[in-house]
Amino acid sequence: MNILETKGLYHDFNRLEVLFDVNLQVKKGERHAIIGPNGAGKTTLFNVITGTYKPSRGTVFFKGKEVTGAKPHHMVRLGMGRSFQITSTFSRLTAFQNIRMGVLSRRGIRFNFFHKVDTMGDVTQETDEILKRINLHGERDMPANTLSYGKHRSLEISMALATDPDVVMLDEPTAGMSKDETRYAIELIRRLTEGKTAVIIEHDMDVVFSLADRITVLHLGEILASGPPDKIRENKAVKDAYLGEMEG
Amino acid sequence: MMNRTIKRIAWGVMLLALVLYPWLFGIYYTNVFVTFAIFALYAVSYNLLLGFTGLFSFGHAMFFGAGAYATALALTHIEGCPLLVALLFGFFGSVVLALLLSPIVARLAHSAFAMLHLAFGMLMYTLALKLRGITGGEDGIGGFPIPPFHIPGVVSVDMTDPLNFYYFAIAVLGGSLWLAWYLTKTPFGQIIVSVRDNDKRVDYMGFKVPQTKAVIYALSCGFAGIAGSVYAMFQDLISAAALGIGHSFAPIVMTMVGGVASFAGPIWGAAIFAMIEELTSRYTERVLLVEGLVLIIVVMFFPGGFMYLVGLIKGKWLGFIRGKGFGVITGQWFTKRSGKKATEDDS
Amino acid sequence: MDATTAMYVAQGIHGLAYGMILFLVASGLTLIFGMMGILNIAHTAFFMLSAYFCYQVVVWTGSFWLALLVAPIATALVGVLVERFLLRKIHALGLLYELTLTVGVMFVIMEAVKVFWGTENLPLLVPPLLQGLVDIGGMEYPLYRLFIIGLSFLILGFLAFILYKTRLGMIVRAAVADPDMVNALGINVPFLFMFVFGVGTWLAGVAGVAIAPILTVFPGLADQMGMDAFIVVIVGGFGSLGGAFMVAVISGLLSSYGVQFVSQLAPVLMFMFMAVVLAIKPTGFFGERE
Repeated sequence: MNILETKGLYHDFNRLEVLFDVNLQVKKGERHAIIGPNGAGKTTLFNVITGTYKPSRGTVFFKGKEVTGAKPHHMVRLGMGRSFQITSTFSRLTAFQNIRMGVLSRRGIRFNFFHKVDTMGDVTQETDEILKRINLHGERDMPANTLSYGKHRSLEISMALATDPDVVMLDEPTAGMSKDETRYAIELIRRLTEGKTAVIIEHDMDVVFSLADRITVLHLGEILASGPPDKIRENKAVKDAYLGEMEG
Repeated sequence: MMNRTIKRIAWGVMLLALVLYPWLFGIYYTNVFVTFAIFALYAVSYNLLLGFTGLFSFGHAMFFGAGAYATALALTHIEGCPLLVALLFGFFGSVVLALLLSPIVARLAHSAFAMLHLAFGMLMYTLALKLRGITGGEDGIGGFPIPPFHIPGVVSVDMTDPLNFYYFAIAVLGGSLWLAWYLTKTPFGQIIVSVRDNDKRVDYMGFKVPQTKAVIYALSCGFAGIAGSVYAMFQDLISAAALGIGHSFAPIVMTMVGGVASFAGPIWGAAIFAMIEELTSRYTERVLLVEGLVLIIVVMFFPGGFMYLVGLIKGKWLGFIRGKGFGVITGQWFTKRSGKKATEDDS
Repeated sequence: MDATTAMYVAQGIHGLAYGMILFLVASGLTLIFGMMGILNIAHTAFFMLSAYFCYQVVVWTGSFWLALLVAPIATALVGVLVERFLLRKIHALGLLYELTLTVGVMFVIMEAVKVFWGTENLPLLVPPLLQGLVDIGGMEYPLYRLFIIGLSFLILGFLAFILYKTRLGMIVRAAVADPDMVNALGINVPFLFMFVFGVGTWLAGVAGVAIAPILTVFPGLADQMGMDAFIVVIVGGFGSLGGAFMVAVISGLLSSYGVQFVSQLAPVLMFMFMAVVLAIKPTGFFGERE
């Protein structure tokens, strides 16, 4: 079953065309990597799927329902989570407060004026549990912008997961990470996305081949190829486009 | 637990001091205190937008003035209007104005938000000046009856007595301050603080940001309206000056001097300015000169404001950076031009 | 030319004169904001300060022309000192603090002039050379107003020339567009900042001298000009000289004709116009800066 699907997706910015006839299919429960050279349109594709942009043409289906043009907060409520390439946490709030936002959202606690949030025991407990799972419990009360880069990225990824989404969209989760941090991140992502569907934009081929069940290659806004890692590795067009960027 | 008991005792003492204040300091200083309390609520209401949500408004005076005028008009035109009803008029007058504006302002970029408020603020001020028939123009409306605090069959307290009015005012203003404080402690409070930090991310966590902004906007303006309402009743006079640019600057500078990163900051700022006015006006008319110098000194040497000093004294310099957990406003939308918002589209 | 047309033209000249003065003030402000992102609340206080300096120079030397030369420069000097020792230090803290600081500076200047010069209106005479009327097409117009228009155009032309035809101007324009890049190119940006701040303040200073004989010198000068100048900058677009020019001229003409024919509505029209523009295009007519 395709939990996420785009049909005939086009997008342009003021006549600058960025996506052409993108037909992406993500199966439920798989880890799907999207790769491609810079400027291929990967983040734009994410932005269209997650609701930042409304596509110029085409449709997006999530869990079988059309969601084209739905706003981000709506997509999140439907069960999608997203992390950003450039770390986008609540930098002046603590790690705890960051994750708690996700917990509050998941529990539908929004326009609540009646309880002191710090006294909501079950919220606190759930947040602490998430923090432990991502090994950030020690930094619980530290502002996000004082965390090391790797930990800050971990927090970023975890925020995408804090609302317990069914599908999590990770945009270059290991951007800027060292080899060790990357290895750690791969394990973290693998662990946290158990039983979920993950769509991951990545440049680091180690990450892609460690994690991906299927890969879609995007080039100049079009899908070049899509399929299991082995097929992609052999694909001539992909090799031409990438020219040596792909070392398995 | 010791901490808690000490806190409780401290609050108790403060409450006692508040009750005894007029007896200790006399009518003149009682009135000074009421003015301070009005501006304390006004500044705090402003900081709900600025310090907590990161929205910078240049025209908050129009909500202060709206509340004041709504109350004044109610008392002038409604025969036998009860005290609390007049107050409610003030509150809802501002809230209605805020709700009218919020569709326009909730989705604006921050700088446009500030400027549009400036524009609307000046517009309201000009309207207040020109519509003499309703607002009394520059002279304003005055001499309307101040109704007693009246519970049928139980008690009727004359509010023209400064002493009685004092208790009424601090009850209303203090209560409103407490409500505002409590608001910041709720889940909603967490959301607005997160909005200040990164409103795009809030969207991506599943919250509706424009609606959230609209709610805090309405509440902030409502509190400003209450402050204005009490102001009108206190002075038994309201004129267009209440909507002027001076009153739009006042909460900004009070908040900055007191400390923008904390709830109590604006209250301290209002207190400091009240003291400056009192002390300076004995010796010279050039009160603004002293205030200007204070502003310059604070910005140059204590940008965190008074609360920063307090934090220093408490030995917790982290208080400045963390601002009691809510973070410091280094100006979210005022990031230097090389700083981009974190969710910039890249590939 | 018949009387009615002549009256319209006279109104136009008044409006244009005021508009040009407004433009001088606004151009300084928009340059300062465009480049440094400082909404300098004290800008109009400098405008007023220059009028007071002008008065003082006339009192000491009797020469308006000397005042026209000296007062704006003196004012610019004060501006440069403010930039160098106050604004520069807190630039990193962000606009909110810059704003508060300039509010403080404004208060100080506004009160300081009262301390030194008192609170009354100080009269200033139009210099003998510029007094009187000039005959154009059978009707007579005040020479001084025409002088203001001419002077403003001269300055505008000079400014435009420097900005668009010289290397210095190119650097300034580049810094307006992207200060960090210019910094990276090895140009002494702090010095450039100081220079532009000085020039911006100087422009306000010239306007202050120009308007002194018309309005007399009094502490309320800053308020009177203040809102108008800010509106011009906001509506015309932060950092846009062309926009400031257009809006200033329209504004001057509007208030001049407005005052005559639609007296009550003129300020309201201005504000509504501004509000509408901002609602539609939040960066102002020509502005690019957010």
